[in-house]
Amino acid sequence: MTQAGPSSIDAVIETYRAGLDTSLIRRNLERSIEERLELLMQLQEFAAELRRAGRAAPDG
Amino acid sequence: MTDFKALLRTLSESGVEFILVGGVAATVHGSTRLTIDVDAVYRRTTENIDRLVLALTPYHPYLRGAPPGLPFRWDAATVKRGLNFTLTTDIGDLDLLGEILGGGAYEALVTSTVTIRVFGIDCRCLTLDKLIELKRAAGRPKDFEAIAELEAIRQQERPR
Repeated sequence: MTQAGPSSIDAVIETYRAGLDTSLIRRNLERSIEERLELLMQLQEFAAELRRAGRAAPDG
Repeated sequence: MTDFKALLRTLSESGVEFILVGGVAATVHGSTRLTIDVDAVYRRTTENIDRLVLALTPYHPYLRGAPPGLPFRWDAATVKRGLNFTLTTDIGDLDLLGEILGGGAYEALVTSTVTIRVFGIDCRCLTLDKLIELKRAAGRPKDFEAIAELEAIRQQERPR
């Protein structure tokens, strides 16, 4: 049996990293911790609203 | 929806010793990823378990995803017999962890925390370095994208 070594994990992480939108990260780092958590709650609310809308759709 | 402010305030104002880990800790450090629960490592002393139980009781903690009507009782004896609890409460979802994979218990993690002030509350949060270390140690594929982001954040904050 072959085990995935750290190098293969590193390669996967590096692939994800190449696709990151660093401008989003930079903008988030400009926010305070409190602002980040407030934003997270707003996103949760938005996601819940989208789920509700999806369920209510005629073919949802 | 999880009311992070209410959950943190409830635990903190009741004197519960806990460390923020997981997705909320990642948000604290700048992650843009959506998380819907609070993951907290709690100290497993008798006194702290008593404080934890008292703090959450008004919010009706129940095992998340479990069918209603199970004989689950939220009390100190239950917490002492168990270790990690995935709970739903009136103020949101809360994962209470007695230990985490690769990181151990509260006492082992507390030296790798920063105290943050948020919503007027001081609370302990795992450091960015420790968060990355633990996620890497866990080696779960679902974490790989999160690790990539956390490492990018670390590089933004500490450019070489």
